[in-house]
Amino acid sequence: MSNVRKAANGSTVDCAVFQDQLPSLFESGKDLNMQPHLKTCENCSALVRDLEYIAQQAKLLLPIHDPSPEVWENIQTALKKEPSRSK
Amino acid sequence: MSIPSKDLATTPGPTAPSKAPNQHLRRNPPIAGETDAIQKAQAGDAASFEMLYALHKRRVYSLCLRMLGNVAEAEDLTQEAFLQLYRKIATFRGDSAFSTWLHRLAVNVVLMHLRKKGLPQVSLEETLEPSQEDGPRKDIGARDLTLSGSVDRVTLERAIENLPPGYRLVFVLHDVEGYEHNEIAGMLECSIGNSKSQLHKARMKLRDLLKSGQRKEAVL
Repeated sequence: MSNVRKAANGSTVDCAVFQDQLPSLFESGKDLNMQPHLKTCENCSALVRDLEYIAQQAKLLLPIHDPSPEVWENIQTALKKEPSRSK
Repeated sequence: MSIPSKDLATTPGPTAPSKAPNQHLRRNPPIAGETDAIQKAQAGDAASFEMLYALHKRRVYSLCLRMLGNVAEAEDLTQEAFLQLYRKIATFRGDSAFSTWLHRLAVNVVLMHLRKKGLPQVSLEETLEPSQEDGPRKDIGARDLTLSGSVDRVTLERAIENLPPGYRLVFVLHDVEGYEHNEIAGMLECSIGNSKSQLHKARMKLRDLLKSGQRKEAVL
């Protein structure tokens, strides 16, 4: 008989162990779909899909937009007070 | 919001959220005329400095805005970052990409600003060690909506704004800006393991925030 405890909600302690390992698994760059636990756990599969999705969407966020023109105007004003570096 | 094709072209595949194969190109795409402009700006040429501002203002501003979540502060710190660039550009030796060097300078400006504010939530030590209740809970046995394909960029930007500051810093630097954990650890003066841990907690927290937003929408 398996010594893996089953929770009332149907999950097992394997989920906790797997999720503890997730940061290093993500960092390894390996295909997480090959992880044995994911073949039998719908909940952790959904979690991995979501975390991958968040990371992918974040990479699409660059850039936002330009700062207002006042920023460059302020920089120019401040630069006039700086010592010149012209050779 | 439009996305430059160079950013889309190097988007990593679905199974490698942490390791993008062309990450260095995504973050530091070659920019025509930049090398010449850097050399001239180092010699004090104002027009070349203005060109560098035009080339990099959007990414520096985006970095500041995402890390601070406040337009006025982000603009102030964008200004401060470029003033520091003007003062320090002569020290740039080309050991790294110029954009990496400039972004590190901008990150330091933001971190200095957060430390000066002296608020409890922006103490770097504290933000990198959030309280237990801010940490990720184990998602065991939950049956809920999945996110895939359902989150637009505005929603994600809002969720990032709502992350605790320490999580937000690491998430923005790694997942948005494409820095590696060793670089982030150097910038934030924390361990690489801490950076990895914070990133995972940030993603878990974002998932919670995005799901709770979906639940609210489903009720309405």
